[in-house]
Amino acid sequence: MKRQRLIALLLTSPWYVTFLLFWAFPLVFSFIISLTDYQLLSPDYAWVGFANYRALFSDPDFLHALKNTTIFVAGTIPITTIIALLMALLVHPPLKGRGFFRSGLFLPWITSLVVVALVFTNLYGRGGYVAALGQMVGLTPPENGFLYDNRTALYSIMAMDVWTSVGYYMLIFLAGLQAIPDELYEAAEVAGASRTRQFFSITLPLLRPVAVFVVVINSIKSFQVFIEIFVMTKWKFETATMVYFLYDTGLSNAFKFGYASAAAYVLFAIIALFSLVQLILLRRRGPVW
Amino acid sequence: MVRRTHWSLTGLRYVALSALLGIMVFPMLWMFRVAFLPAGSSLSGSDVLGGGLTLKNFSDLATDGTIVGALLNSAVVGLVVTAGNVLFCFMVGYALARHRTIANKVAFASCLLVLMIPAHVVVIPLYVMAIKSGWYDSYAALIIPWLVTPIGIFLVKQYIEGIPPSLEEAARIDGAGEMSILFRIVMPICKPVLVVLAIQVFVTNWNSFLYPFILTSRASLRTLPVALAMLQGHQAIDWPHLMAGSALAVVPVLVVFFVMQRHILSGIMAGGLKQ
Repeated sequence: MKRQRLIALLLTSPWYVTFLLFWAFPLVFSFIISLTDYQLLSPDYAWVGFANYRALFSDPDFLHALKNTTIFVAGTIPITTIIALLMALLVHPPLKGRGFFRSGLFLPWITSLVVVALVFTNLYGRGGYVAALGQMVGLTPPENGFLYDNRTALYSIMAMDVWTSVGYYMLIFLAGLQAIPDELYEAAEVAGASRTRQFFSITLPLLRPVAVFVVVINSIKSFQVFIEIFVMTKWKFETATMVYFLYDTGLSNAFKFGYASAAAYVLFAIIALFSLVQLILLRRRGPVW
Repeated sequence: MVRRTHWSLTGLRYVALSALLGIMVFPMLWMFRVAFLPAGSSLSGSDVLGGGLTLKNFSDLATDGTIVGALLNSAVVGLVVTAGNVLFCFMVGYALARHRTIANKVAFASCLLVLMIPAHVVVIPLYVMAIKSGWYDSYAALIIPWLVTPIGIFLVKQYIEGIPPSLEEAARIDGAGEMSILFRIVMPICKPVLVVLAIQVFVTNWNSFLYPFILTSRASLRTLPVALAMLQGHQAIDWPHLMAGSALAVVPVLVVFFVMQRHILSGIMAGGLKQ
């Protein structure tokens, strides 16, 4: 028995090392330095208590990043979830070639986000493809391209985010649809329920846990949006998001580790709170739709 | 009972799906088209449709070396990280599934905890740790923190829990050692889940940007996504060359995807792939 325990410990040791060294320690370390004025260039640092946190909420750049992140999350998640659900409903029932469509619709997700961002920088550019499409339907595209106009830049990046992620969430909804037993629909058919009625009384309620899962993982991802912002609008701070802000203050110009860590913890708290609320909603019984 | 569907509804589904597929595939087709355009093309409609077709962008990238070096870095880092995950996630996942000790329950709880932690929250401390430990700007920083991932442990554990332990017990009675049970008996049975795990880890690592970007500064250590993002950092963008480099980043993933698509789709639908 003792030997068994030793073997178990030996087998799990890679995870213990990784967890302690690269997750637990950094999390604690990050919180500690968020209470200091630690910077790269000055090795002496002092405790400042929660001053960094207080300073964040009067820092216009941070508030701006917080606002952009909120717009990003609030704008993309409902749209992505609805489109992904509709796509799953389209590829779920038997159809010749549905496997081909499933794979094709999923492709953007596995493409490097840096590459996607570069391609869309081109498509959104001045005189680019999207501008040409807009002109064709009689709209006037921004003069210097969509990414250099404050009215369109963030929304253009959000549209691209929906494009890259719907295929993935479609697959998760599809797994949810496949888990619904056929007998339910057969019974409903016998009872004379219409297709519409079946959809609203069987499909949607049974997909609720899947929908919550989709929203939770998508929000954990979207609150951390960074690559697109970094690659597509590097010279403009109008589209800065929270991770861009912490990159900019902590790792790019000022190297204010303490201040940036405080920003990271605020982001952490927001994501944790958001996930918790959604998980509580999932547990709660009764109609949510 | 077969539920009949009217033919017009099927037709509508095809129309809708084809339109969606067009939207999803068009940007990739555009990238490949521009990658073969002669440098200096205007990217106007007439150039894209009627312009030349050349391999020169790719041969330029080969002579310049930056992108090819980054491609090699990505391949080496990706393969080592993938091999590490297959080995370590298998070991840990097996232990968590078969040895139900208190320590292992703690280990599993810590896995679930890490799955919920946003990865970018620890970007600053990891950077500081890399600087202080001398790992900054080395392959170690690109590889070691990612050799075992909670999602991989999770996948393997779930899979092994679905296999009855009778084979292992029989081998134990026959006097087989724990290590040979682990690697000669259990590992071959786990091949399907390890394939899914390997693909997911490789693709995620191949595409990852933030950590390789902040943990290295030498040009010779850049991975492909980092090198591409740096190429674009100039005011006047040379699109044909940039798209040629992008195509090099996409093609390996496409190849893996088309060969393994059944595994990939079923793996995700079984509840995995966290990016």
